[in-house]
Amino acid sequence: MMLPLLVVLSLLNGCAEKEKFIVYGSPQNESEVEALINEEDYVDRSTVIQYDGSMLVAVQIKPWEKWKKTKLEKKLQKKFEEKYPNKDVFVSADYKIFYEANKIKKDQIEDNKLSDKITELIELAKEET
Amino acid sequence: MEKEQYQQLEQNVTPKPPYLKNVAKAFLVGGLICAIGQAVSLFYIIFFNFTEATAGNPTVATMVFFAMILTGLGLYKKIGQFAGAGSAVPVTGFGNAVISAAIEHRSEGLVLGVGGNLFKLAGSVVLFGVVSAFFVALFKYILVTIGVVSW
Repeated sequence: MMLPLLVVLSLLNGCAEKEKFIVYGSPQNESEVEALINEEDYVDRSTVIQYDGSMLVAVQIKPWEKWKKTKLEKKLQKKFEEKYPNKDVFVSADYKIFYEANKIKKDQIEDNKLSDKITELIELAKEET
Repeated sequence: MEKEQYQQLEQNVTPKPPYLKNVAKAFLVGGLICAIGQAVSLFYIIFFNFTEATAGNPTVATMVFFAMILTGLGLYKKIGQFAGAGSAVPVTGFGNAVISAAIEHRSEGLVLGVGGNLFKLAGSVVLFGVVSAFFVALFKYILVTIGVVSW
């Protein structure tokens, strides 16, 4: 009797509201970025890491929209590039990038290492095999 | 006894296979194997430098390795008897087909026995996989050239 109840409760627990938008790095346009991502309703959770001229946007796309992952990624990339033409923006919907971006936030990595880390992640995301 | 009569008799005697039960078993075990595969994939993503796009290769290798150990211990046979296609359709079934052929022909020597018969069962999987991949790629290439879809 107790077991099914526990399973249902633990499953429903996942529905609890998580921190949806995280922006880390030099604080300059947090609310603007958040509003930009908020417009796209296919984005489930996102983490944005920015340092100087570079900006890493890691998003997680909602389950049923994942079929169109690459297309949505490109769309978001284009949107960000239009909005910030003088910034080096990189959008990724890959779980690895999202995980690492959250880790950067959690470990509170300092600014001088941040730019190296961002380039490393961008290179990783571009790998194909 | 006529041919039709015999068939009638045979159909009456043969027990009906429990289709629904078999489907449920295959679904559950196949799903379990895929869940393990997903866990292995997440393991590679979190602890190594693999992305969602690149984690596929090591995951497949690991799953075949698991199937290899289970086949060697004689456990995969039991899973196969219980789940049927649920254990044969995932990549672990391919691993099982390769390894069991290798074990079976070990006594005939390494080159002509194991080497010659390794892909006896799994060869068709490789062949039709490659051929169908070729035709799918060709089809998509034509569609892209016409301009219906993009890469």
